Amino acid sequence: MNFKALLKSLMLRKFAVGLLVIQLALTLGLIVNSSILALDTIKKLEEPMGIDIDNILIVDLVATSGAYRDDDYANAITLEDMAKIEALPGVIAATPSIQLPIQSGGTNGNMHDIDNPDIELTNKYLSYVPFFFATEKIQQVFDLELIEGRLLSSSDMFKDGDEKMNIVITQSLKHDLYGEDSAIGRETNNGIIVGVVKDFNISPLKPDDKQYAVFKPYIIPNSYHYLVKVEPGQFNTIKNQISDVILSVQPERDIRRVYSMADHLEKFYQQDQGLANLFIMLCVLMVLVTIISSYANAQFHVSKQRKIIGIRRALGARKKDVLIYVLAENWLVCLMGSFFGILAIMGINIMLSNHLEIAKPEILPTIIAICVLAVIGTLATWLPAIKTSNIPPVIATKTV
Amino acid sequence: MLKMTNISKIFKSETIQTHALRDFSLTVESGEFVAVTGPSGSGKSTFLNVAGLLDNFSQGEYQLDGVNVSGLNDNDLSKLRNEKIGFIFQNYNLIPDYSIYDNVDMPLRYRGFNAAERKRRIEHALEKVGLASRHGYLPSQLSGGQQQRVAIARALAGEPKILLADEPTGNLDSLMARQVMELLHSLNEDGATIIMVTHDPDQAREVKRSVQIIDGQITDAKVYAPESAIQTTLTENEKKELVDA
Amino acid sequence: MLKYYVQLAFENIKRAPTLYLLVILTLSLGVGLLCANLALVNSMASDPIPHKSDRLFHVSMNTWVNENPHVQPLHIIRYRDAMQILKSDIPVNTAIFFVSNAYARDANAADLSRSRAVIRATNPGFFKLTDAPFAYGNAFTHINAKEVVIGDDLNNKVFGGGNNVGKSIELAGEIFTVVGILKPWDLRPLFYHVTENNAFNPTEDVFLPLETALDNDMSIGARSSSTDNWRVSSDTRERNVFYMQAWVELEKPSDKSAFENYLKNYSQSLKESGEHPNEIINDLHDVNEWMEKNNVVDQRIIAFTIATLLFLCVCVFNASSLLLSKFHAAKFEIGLRRAIGASNQQMLVQGLVESTIVGVIASAIALVFSWLFLKASIEFLPMLTNIAVLDIEVLAWGVGIAIIASNISVIYPLIRANRYTISAELK
Repeated sequence: MNFKALLKSLMLRKFAVGLLVIQLALTLGLIVNSSILALDTIKKLEEPMGIDIDNILIVDLVATSGAYRDDDYANAITLEDMAKIEALPGVIAATPSIQLPIQSGGTNGNMHDIDNPDIELTNKYLSYVPFFFATEKIQQVFDLELIEGRLLSSSDMFKDGDEKMNIVITQSLKHDLYGEDSAIGRETNNGIIVGVVKDFNISPLKPDDKQYAVFKPYIIPNSYHYLVKVEPGQFNTIKNQISDVILSVQPERDIRRVYSMADHLEKFYQQDQGLANLFIMLCVLMVLVTIISSYANAQFHVSKQRKIIGIRRALGARKKDVLIYVLAENWLVCLMGSFFGILAIMGINIMLSNHLEIAKPEILPTIIAICVLAVIGTLATWLPAIKTSNIPPVIATKTV
Repeated sequence: MLKMTNISKIFKSETIQTHALRDFSLTVESGEFVAVTGPSGSGKSTFLNVAGLLDNFSQGEYQLDGVNVSGLNDNDLSKLRNEKIGFIFQNYNLIPDYSIYDNVDMPLRYRGFNAAERKRRIEHALEKVGLASRHGYLPSQLSGGQQQRVAIARALAGEPKILLADEPTGNLDSLMARQVMELLHSLNEDGATIIMVTHDPDQAREVKRSVQIIDGQITDAKVYAPESAIQTTLTENEKKELVDA
Repeated sequence: MLKYYVQLAFENIKRAPTLYLLVILTLSLGVGLLCANLALVNSMASDPIPHKSDRLFHVSMNTWVNENPHVQPLHIIRYRDAMQILKSDIPVNTAIFFVSNAYARDANAADLSRSRAVIRATNPGFFKLTDAPFAYGNAFTHINAKEVVIGDDLNNKVFGGGNNVGKSIELAGEIFTVVGILKPWDLRPLFYHVTENNAFNPTEDVFLPLETALDNDMSIGARSSSTDNWRVSSDTRERNVFYMQAWVELEKPSDKSAFENYLKNYSQSLKESGEHPNEIINDLHDVNEWMEKNNVVDQRIIAFTIATLLFLCVCVFNASSLLLSKFHAAKFEIGLRRAIGASNQQMLVQGLVESTIVGVIASAIALVFSWLFLKASIEFLPMLTNIAVLDIEVLAWGVGIAIIASNISVIYPLIRANRYTISAELK
């Protein structure tokens, strides 16, 4: 195979080859960046939550009648709901909650030791600490792991008129408020700390060491969520009956959704996932166009080269040589496309990073994408190449 | 060198069978320069295609340099073409995208020579046809005669047993045609075996041996003495062609 | 002559159907995908109230009561700030509001089932400021009336449609009189509430007088921030709870500066009484500025649109190289046509006529692809449901882009083909 001569002959068709090279380079650029987006999303989804997402059931509900505007009535119904739900076989614990881990917005508040309010001026995360208003059962729902002090008990439930609330906070929050000192018994603007629990994935958009949370033993009337921890394998059974159980306590509620923490996580990343899917769809189309292009170029380029192939055959090229000759051209274009493709990958990455969060391109996905394109290109060229190699050598002596 | 015995070549279409060659026999010895003439459609081209292993035949036996070619597969045929035959085509058949050098190089690549050997042969062949200085040119930058000389260099570079020329001067004006013919003669004097298909009777006459194909068969085989080259023994067909021209 | 060109074009297409099929397929894929995304961008970037978008201003204030260097002017303000804005007579119209929700039913119906209703608690000026289209009746006249205006959708759900002005509606257990019913009102984006991902929500089901909503402790359904504890929304009148938004309609630039002054004086008075610890920053953004500031056009879609634009380029390049081989194969015919006297220009026009026809065919297929891509987009990104609309404007763009793309892809092959020498091809 005379690569130099092939290269020179490609250079004579600069424009046509250039088109193919740019096309390949852009394809490569888009494919690699799309897969980066898709991989980013998968990585986020696979990041450990620190809680048992498959066995936590969430019910979203809203009261539809005006009666629920009476807090005492609303809370009485909520407690009855909880009792009924916990009585179901397979339920470990249930609590109302005004928010979920991993959500944008939510109920956040500021947090500081009563003697050190200025700490908020140096740490902006302390102004937006997620508050989980719930019963003490939330500790069982999330399987909170105690690090210091004690967990909340039912006697900690805050009642109107009580003076100080007992609270449990996460480890990173404790660390940022008190460093290595013990936090137990300390008084904050949100109450007295009785326990510190291990961090879990509460706010994925914040750094790993800022997974703050405060667990406050208080029921907010008409809380939007019920959280239910179920025994392994019981999820669907409970899911199927929970609406009826709640409505049997009092029917004037709109149960908007019953789902798992895993569904919630997926929904949180739905936008990223959706975007990644769109980019993957684009990739599929690009591969399709690459197939069309490789096939058509081999096909049409070859049809005008019939004579030349005939000459080659007459001068002693075997079928195999012709096959390799046609494929070699594809490979050479692919190689050039890959070279410029690396520039395209970086260019498109920079362009996309102006509009969304995207990781920097890495070597391995790039190499994989190049190989995939090369294989696809080769396969698409194969059929026309076989056809070409069947051109009989006798063509050489025919004029025109 | 080349021995065809009772070769038949039949083209079949749905309704008719055409005999392009019928019980065709011809023997060419090493060192001969044979001109093959004949009217259009007589089977000249078919003969050349069969002789050059470009096309198969239906019956008969063909020995090329001692090798019986019937029964050889495509790869073996390719190898034979590459090693034993040098082609010179009417329209040169150079690859337009390749330089002169790369064109001559092409058959050598399939031969599997190493770079040094190829270089030596290419330079030698181009020197022989007087185009050594033009090796970087593209075919389109050369005149027709020069292109045909490149094609001859390409045929020579592989040091074939036999040169097959198909109307080598058919696309050239008389001056260029003359140069090409002189080149072929001098190659023959150096020992090359040449079979040339032509319909130029003058060319047929200036070679040592001329055969005529009519209706797929050799009608007469003449051996001209060099001094009798001026004498004319035209067949009716050749006369007719001359008048037509 | 044009007729002849068109005829020739169809003949050419018939002669190499595979090649043209591939050209048309690639072009329509590229155009279709781009078009679908342009439809999304177009919906997101469109000006929902073009005749006065430059005269409507969103008010942001920096009245946060804790000293905090991180604080920027907030888009939400307190009840007292909103009332201060409402008091000014500089704007021709002022709208202050917050969003809530409740369940609604026909108060006189026997059926006790209720429909979920999104509520905007606001003042009468809201309707004039937003040009809300009334089908029946009109706006409530007082900010504390026990009256409501309802949207078309809820009117259908609760009353089965028609003129129901004067009927009673039950909301969260309270009874209100319907005084106005809106026509179907598509406002895309929902310019007056683009924050908290509300930009592509439908217009509300119920418009409730603001004071009435507070008196009835309607819940606050969008962002609220506070430095004081509060339990029910009626508490918020006196406390530092930030949850309302305000828009003003200012006729002249001089009104704008006058209103800015008005806000500044108000902030200054707060500062003097020690209630404004942070820097005085009050911002007025007109509709388009406000939408831009809040990234109403989803950056992800922009990024994807750029990618689809590149994809279209790839498709055009692909079509171009296909056509290049096609013209190369037709060298002889082109040479012949030139030899019998077709001028270079005529050959060019013929080529362009042909590619325009290809473009038109491609655009038709592209529209089908666009529709499919929009469906796929909604499937992948449900937030686009109210945005993915292929309107006439986008369709026209689609046809235009397809024709341009097709013509661009043919230009080089054409020029190249016309450069083949006549003699060389006919020898």
